[in-house]
Amino acid sequence: MELIASLLIISLASIASLKYRWLGWASLVGVVILVPSQPAILLLAFLIILNMLSLELMKRSYLAGVDYGLVAFMAAATIYAIYSTDLSSLVAAFVAVSVPTYMLVMASEERARTDTGIKYITFMVLATVLFLIGVALAVFASQTGDETLYAIAFVAIVVGIAIEVGVAPFHQWVPDVFVSADAIPISIIASLAKFVPFIVAFKILSATYMGNGTLIMVVAFLAIISMFAGNIGALTSREHSRILGYSTVANMGYILATFVILSKPEFLWIAFAGALLQLFANSFGKVGFFAAIKDGGSSPALTYTLALSFIGMPPLMGFWSKVLIISSLAYSGFIWLAVIMVINSAISVPYYIRLARELGAKDIRGLAGLVVALTVIATLLTLLPGWFIDSAKALTAFIGLGGV
Amino acid sequence: MSSAVTSTMASDMMPLLAALFLTPILASTPIAFAWAFRKDAPWARKLPILSVFGLFVSFLITLYILFNVEEGTKYVYPWLPAFGIDFVFIFDYLSKYMGALTGLIAFLIGVYGLEYMKDDYRLGWYWFCFNLFTASMLLVVYSDNLLMLLIGWEGLGIASWGLIGHWFRDDDELSYVGNMGRKVFGLNYFWSPSFGGWRAISTIRVGDMPMFFAVAAIYAFAGNLNISEIHWETLFETLGAAGTAILLIAFLMGPFTKSAQLPFSEWLMTAMTGPTTVSALLHSATMVAAGTYLFMRISWYIEPWAFSNAGMDAVYAFVLFLGLISSLYAALLAAGMWERKVLLASSTMSSLGLMFAAAAASKWLGEFAVEVSFWYLIVHAFAKATLFLVAGHLIHVTHDRFCGGDTEVAKKMKLTFLVTAFATISLAGIPPFTAYWVKSAMDEVMHGLIEHGMALPLTLLITISIIYSAFLAKFLSLNFLKGKKVHLHLHGGGLMGAAYTVMVSMLLVLLYLIMTGQEEVAGEFFHEGFVSTSLAVGAAVTVSYFFALIKPSIPQLSTVGRVLSDRLYMPFLNDLIVPKIGWVLVAIVDVCNRGVDFFFHQAIPAFFESASKSIRKIQKGYLASYMRVTLAAVMVLLVISSIVGW
Repeated sequence: MELIASLLIISLASIASLKYRWLGWASLVGVVILVPSQPAILLLAFLIILNMLSLELMKRSYLAGVDYGLVAFMAAATIYAIYSTDLSSLVAAFVAVSVPTYMLVMASEERARTDTGIKYITFMVLATVLFLIGVALAVFASQTGDETLYAIAFVAIVVGIAIEVGVAPFHQWVPDVFVSADAIPISIIASLAKFVPFIVAFKILSATYMGNGTLIMVVAFLAIISMFAGNIGALTSREHSRILGYSTVANMGYILATFVILSKPEFLWIAFAGALLQLFANSFGKVGFFAAIKDGGSSPALTYTLALSFIGMPPLMGFWSKVLIISSLAYSGFIWLAVIMVINSAISVPYYIRLARELGAKDIRGLAGLVVALTVIATLLTLLPGWFIDSAKALTAFIGLGGV
Repeated sequence: MSSAVTSTMASDMMPLLAALFLTPILASTPIAFAWAFRKDAPWARKLPILSVFGLFVSFLITLYILFNVEEGTKYVYPWLPAFGIDFVFIFDYLSKYMGALTGLIAFLIGVYGLEYMKDDYRLGWYWFCFNLFTASMLLVVYSDNLLMLLIGWEGLGIASWGLIGHWFRDDDELSYVGNMGRKVFGLNYFWSPSFGGWRAISTIRVGDMPMFFAVAAIYAFAGNLNISEIHWETLFETLGAAGTAILLIAFLMGPFTKSAQLPFSEWLMTAMTGPTTVSALLHSATMVAAGTYLFMRISWYIEPWAFSNAGMDAVYAFVLFLGLISSLYAALLAAGMWERKVLLASSTMSSLGLMFAAAAASKWLGEFAVEVSFWYLIVHAFAKATLFLVAGHLIHVTHDRFCGGDTEVAKKMKLTFLVTAFATISLAGIPPFTAYWVKSAMDEVMHGLIEHGMALPLTLLITISIIYSAFLAKFLSLNFLKGKKVHLHLHGGGLMGAAYTVMVSMLLVLLYLIMTGQEEVAGEFFHEGFVSTSLAVGAAVTVSYFFALIKPSIPQLSTVGRVLSDRLYMPFLNDLIVPKIGWVLVAIVDVCNRGVDFFFHQAIPAFFESASKSIRKIQKGYLASYMRVTLAAVMVLLVISSIVGW
């Protein structure tokens, strides 16, 4: 019922925003009515507000005010995906988060960037198709007990989300699109759009997983390639957006690594909490850095804090997320993977510090400054991470598929 | 002995013990500060009297302990209760005498130093180090706890470094050791005060390191650090023969280096670059004796005669022969030596070797051997300190550090001559003077070893005694009777003369104690003096003494003398071989350093740069090529998955 009301409000607000851009903010109401009083979801709401706030940094867009509505729509789908255990709803949420980004990625202050859009959309379509086929086959195979089919379905799902979020070696679109798109829409794609693919895949795979350890190794293998490709690729990149593109590839590798927990379901909550917190750490960092890029720089204190969070410096958010992921890897017997992750964190130090130095050459000012400052505050919210871990643990109650 | 030890928590002793260690240090702080800030003030040069007063207070307290504290008392004050480590002061037979000896000699040399050092340019440094040394030495003497002992032990090391290098400007030929400008096979054969200080501290470090580990191991295995409380037999059983040998050798590395046994003897020779007072106090009577004293102290409580352990027995045999061989080596050196102080330094080393040997013989002959060794330490301390003080006085009046002086010197410095003659005769072991009785007991100890199948020790001891007596006579003869003509600068000297006269008169006190049997242990030595071996050795020593007195130098043997005065080329070990090893290590470290630098500053960055560039090379910007790669990867993975699922 709330979902229908929410979608109605978002639609009306979007229509109204075609006339007056600021009316797009009304769509936020549609998101707010969906938000329960679960701390982790409140943190998500904070991210959504930051996403919409950073849209203010674009003077105009070919989407008029609809971009607000699109973000609100993605937000609604994300919250719904976290709570839903219904297969069709999850698939719908996956598509509902993916499609608005097709339009967002082309948004800029001048004209629609169709060349960027084509590159992005081509990959996304491939991803969506693979994912949908994979989901259908996985559910079918798990019910019939066909392991061969399930193996294909498993890989299709993993590759689907890998292309969707930009896991190496399916990451070619990431650096190109990050550089050629406008900083603000790409910050949304790099943050809010990453949640649903992982959450949906988590739910479907943990519900259908048939105990084939080799498949876990495939996942671990992809995660490692992604970490190394992202971190090493970023080391010599010059453009800030490109560095952040490779940083995304690396971060997606870290999150994908948590899928190895499928072999040890009793520790699932640690992996889920870690993946979720890493998504947040990555999102806030990306929103902050892209806002700074849009504005031509920010204050060094802020950029260095964001960089240190990315590196994983205690007690910032990026530290706790990595601690959780590494412990989940250790619990599931993948110590070597945890070691590789730590090595990768070390490799990432130079380019994050470089990013912080080059972007942190200005004073804090205006709306962009506010956005960056708010993202920094967000990285400090988990100084004591207990509340988030408890909340994420509560949300694991919704992992699984009803009626399958 | 050790069973008689009683342990008390006596708070009434606390102020007295605090005063014992702190008074010398506190009394020397005014001059240390005065020298730092108001060096030229007229009152600054009067402050040394205060320092000597501090030494005097310590001396009085050591006397109080000697006469009023019951033997075998321990005072315990909590220090690290969590680890069961306390400040434990022990007053047993050894420490009571040793403490009083330290207090008296330090005070007398302090008095001597008032005159000897009065025109010095660095009095603040000198007196602070001197008094710090005395306090450290007393701490070593009275410590039962090994950790507490190490504090004093390190104080000895640092004060020794400071005092040897006291004339750090290296601008006075009189303070050097060796013939200025002499080179042997390209190696500088003369040593400056600053180099002497460095040689001392670096050599002592070599011994202290293993000693620290040994103390740590004792704590780990015995759970106790109090020498008198450790169950040594159980500890040695736990460690086994090899473990015991390693532990004891590691522990004794400290005493070996401190007491300048072979091959760590070189530092003591070049320690003579320090002021003569320092040589007298540190490098004859106390600090170098601390090594032997520590060996006696642990032997006293290990009681090696009471049980058998292959490792321990081997170590005691090793110490016995190390001591004797060091002693022989040093005696030969002294016989060939021309420098007054270096001659005395070699003779000190020789005596220290005898102390080690006699104390080690306790393994076979029981506690008596330790007592003999300890009494030899006492006799030697007073006699040798006297001779050093005389040497200092002679250097002052002749402005020459090499032996020299004919009968004119003996006539003009009658007191000095008589003191020297008495000290040499007493120390040489000529009957019936002081050292004769102690040496007789030592002869008996070595004689006793023959029953245990060791005839060599007695042979070596007799040889050493004869040479020892000869070079003492040589010292007397070359400085007062038959040396080259010297020009005397006689003025003052009263305070110095008084100091060494009191010092040498202590030998009479000791003689009295031995002859009358007033001191129970020393009284036993009296009987040993009438054994035929002792009488024979006494006769031989007397002959040797008078022979050397008449013929102090033998020109026909000058080549041999040169080799001996070059210390059998031992400096090459210290100044050439060890530094070479050091430089090899430096070179190895340097190569490793470069490797590390290359690895982290060049190899790793270069690797990542090329890896990064090849990862980025995929980004051609063409969608078609991206799709080819992506689809290929998808296909490969799907094929793999179907194979996996099969």
